[in-house]
Amino acid sequence: MSAGGAFGGNRGARPVPPEKGVFPLDHMHLCDQEKKEYISCLKTSGHKSEICRHLSKKYLECRMEKNLMAKQDMSELGFTTDDKSQESKMKIQNEMEG
Amino acid sequence: MVGCTYAAVPLYRRFCQATGYGGTVQRRETVEEKILRHAQDGTVTNREIVVRFNADVSDGMPWKFIPTQREVRVKPGESALAFYTAENLSSAPITGMSTYNVTPMKAAVYFNKIQCFCFEEQRLLPGEQIDMPVFFYIDPEFETDPRMDGINDIILSYTFFKIAEDKS
Repeated sequence: MSAGGAFGGNRGARPVPPEKGVFPLDHMHLCDQEKKEYISCLKTSGHKSEICRHLSKKYLECRMEKNLMAKQDMSELGFTTDDKSQESKMKIQNEMEG
Repeated sequence: MVGCTYAAVPLYRRFCQATGYGGTVQRRETVEEKILRHAQDGTVTNREIVVRFNADVSDGMPWKFIPTQREVRVKPGESALAFYTAENLSSAPITGMSTYNVTPMKAAVYFNKIQCFCFEEQRLLPGEQIDMPVFFYIDPEFETDPRMDGINDIILSYTFFKIAEDKS
């Protein structure tokens, strides 16, 4: 009998969003791609959070979409519309270089 | 022991949402409220802090547990995401629980965890590998506290303990 069954065991399968403050584990790897993009960005940007923030925002949005995080306004989590414009700037830069 | 753990989890959850370090638990405002307040005030910060990550497992805990990135450079007031990766190397499902600390200790009061996996029991199947995110925020007031002069590095350390092993 495992104590984990009560809390951590089935969390990935729950349709109900978790309460704020807790990240249930992404057992089904639903947001792996977003995580990989963020980590990859950190590695190529000298680990600067500011440069990769738009990707961390995408990761959190993925979690909210898949019920792996309580839905909240992104501004409550420190994301402003400035982060969106940073993302568009980077997109335009990538398109110009690509 | 299961009963104790059960009762402790709701307490730990609130603890996690507050300033997140042992000793005094400050509930004057939530992290989200703090973030909104500084956004409204237009608080500007300049100092870059290097947050580094440590990962440990207790004796007898057969998980590989490592930080996914070695550091994140962040300014106070900027919420930031970091990951740890855990893998159950054994042939049985294992439930673990983690604790963490922040050093230097005097900086810990400014280190807020907005979302984390700490204090929740986590169960990994044999061979399962999982990402464990931490979403944190260094209070902008860090920058104006003279006791924080010269502190440019913060270390977040997690340790995973084995709570249970399924025997089948």
